Amino acid sequence: MLLGSKSAIFSFLSKWETLIEGKGAMIMNKNKRKILIVEDEFVNREILKNILLDDFEIIEAEDGETALELLNSGRDDLSLILLDLFLPKLSGLELLNIIQANTALNNIPVIVLTSDKELEVQCLQYGASDFISKPYPDSSIIKARINRVVELFEDRQTIKSTERDALTRLYTREYFYKYVADEDRLNPNVERDAIAIGIRSFHIIKERFGTSFSDSLLVRFSKRLKKLMPNISGMVCHLEADTFIVYAQHFVDYEKFLEEMSADIYVDKESKTPLKVQMGIYQNADKNLDIDVRFERAKIALNKLRDSVVKNYFIFDDKLKEKELFEEELLEEFNTAINEKQFVVFYQPKFNIQGEAPRLVSAEALVRWKHPQKGLISPGIFIPLFEEKGLIQRLDLYVWKEAASQMKKWQEKYHKHVPVSVNVSRIDLFDPTLVETLLEIVKENGLKTSDLLLEITESACTDNVDVIIDKASALRAAGFKIEIDDFGTGYSSLSMINKLPLDALKIDMIFIRNAFTSENDNKMIKIIIDIASYLKVPTIAEGVETKEQVAVLKELGCDIVQGYYFSKPVPNEEFAAFLTTEK
Amino acid sequence: MLTIEKLRQYGANVDEGLQRCVNNEQLYLTLVNRFLDQNTFPDLKDAILAHDLEKAFHIAHSLKGVIGNLSLSPLYDVIYQLTELLRNRTEMDYSNYIQRYEVSYSMLSALR
Repeated sequence: MLLGSKSAIFSFLSKWETLIEGKGAMIMNKNKRKILIVEDEFVNREILKNILLDDFEIIEAEDGETALELLNSGRDDLSLILLDLFLPKLSGLELLNIIQANTALNNIPVIVLTSDKELEVQCLQYGASDFISKPYPDSSIIKARINRVVELFEDRQTIKSTERDALTRLYTREYFYKYVADEDRLNPNVERDAIAIGIRSFHIIKERFGTSFSDSLLVRFSKRLKKLMPNISGMVCHLEADTFIVYAQHFVDYEKFLEEMSADIYVDKESKTPLKVQMGIYQNADKNLDIDVRFERAKIALNKLRDSVVKNYFIFDDKLKEKELFEEELLEEFNTAINEKQFVVFYQPKFNIQGEAPRLVSAEALVRWKHPQKGLISPGIFIPLFEEKGLIQRLDLYVWKEAASQMKKWQEKYHKHVPVSVNVSRIDLFDPTLVETLLEIVKENGLKTSDLLLEITESACTDNVDVIIDKASALRAAGFKIEIDDFGTGYSSLSMINKLPLDALKIDMIFIRNAFTSENDNKMIKIIIDIASYLKVPTIAEGVETKEQVAVLKELGCDIVQGYYFSKPVPNEEFAAFLTTEK
Repeated sequence: MLTIEKLRQYGANVDEGLQRCVNNEQLYLTLVNRFLDQNTFPDLKDAILAHDLEKAFHIAHSLKGVIGNLSLSPLYDVIYQLTELLRNRTEMDYSNYIQRYEVSYSMLSALR
């Protein structure tokens, strides 16, 4: 189409100019990406504008100063700057420098427009993303170059805004996993540990001090983690809440790393309560496994530690037998089990068989674990475990209290004094407050000290004999009765037994079980009964199952019998039956 | 009146120029007219005569960009050579170049 006349062209042009020229004039279009064209030559601007108008919203500046004003007034929504180098007032290179030095602006890509070949490299060095030469190349080339730069920068922006967690500024999981994959590809032969890190009792900290405090704690801890990463050639991700994951070159000094992580970070400034950190480690992680699986293993290891008072790190070992995993779960669940009273005390009656008819004289308290998921767990599994892990004292205390409170209930309801024997572990005997604790329990439940029979295994008395003897004496002086459990299986000497103050010997069930198949073991029973008679204390036979066994034990002079022949260990409700039938 | 055909006869690389304007003939002609109206060559000539070669270079450089983008080949040849000489601040008699430019320019202007 041709315009009618020269004057018509001028009139058209001047209107056009008032509309679109001038400082920072723009054509509004909200849906398009914005490009700033900084170019002093009208003709050049118009050519570019014409090429880009369909795809972009165009903002124009005629000189460097105007462009800078525009940029500084908050034009951070630009997708691209097209910058001519030869500009009046402020040159293109100067403007490029200013843009690159400004963190609010240097994420906007710049394409330089230049006719000087020698300046092209310099522009790229100054931070330009690309250049377009003059005279301009084919419009399709201009379009393609501009689109490519805009897309690249948008991708980079997307990565920048999503690769880091908003709170901690650590990697988010998605990007962390990607970088782990990169790391594996670049260094396939380097051994790596997948580590999961947690803050102990974080939920309590959060409840006690509030979310803003716990958030700031997470931020402080995150900064620390980030700082420590070079030491272990690692990278870190904030997974969720107080859980962090680290991918590090294999190392072994976990104690040191744990110390460094929490050093001088307090959860309570007033009382200087130190931050406690726990760590689950999947060592030399198998790179054939999914990244997710590797960190899942680290998390499994970490979860074993949650609420544990014993350890602060745990190493996942896929050679770990199921039993060990099971045991770790039991340890982990110990606190909950105590709090939720999952431990249930059963009672097995003990009968005196020396009279005309067997007579109920006492009961033994035996603990069972009624696990909500795992079902009834045998004490044979968890007691040795708790002994090893230092938890047995708490379980013993629990059982003492339960048994005492049960006795109180029986006495109130049935007016019967049936003493109950409870287990006293070796470690309890070294507790200086043992006597006090037991006396308190007895007092609280309105019992006599003689109601609580204390069973000490013979093997508990094999070393530190003097301490054991002193403690046993103190207990007896307080009125408690002491039964030596599993007698005959330990290695205690007769002279030690002679010095140990005691009130009964319990014959281990293994002797009873074999008594009628082996002449020798029958003799063992007799020997134990002889020792008891020498010490002037009764014997108690455990694991008695048949009428025949009862008859023989009676004849051998055994006083008290406990076992399936009379009753298996039963819940307290069932045990009540023995109290009502007894005179 | 300026037409595509007249520009072609003048020696402009019309196809290239039009290509830059995404084959918008009206825009192309408008921009050539704009170039003629905004004639900055007298400033360049003054700068050369005043021996301000730096200023002259800047004007020539800008002019070269515009002329190049419009593919006005007869003018481009002259302005290109002029720009390179001025880039090196060559002290010489520029009257030949000035004359060549002015002739080419008036030929183009006469097409209107």
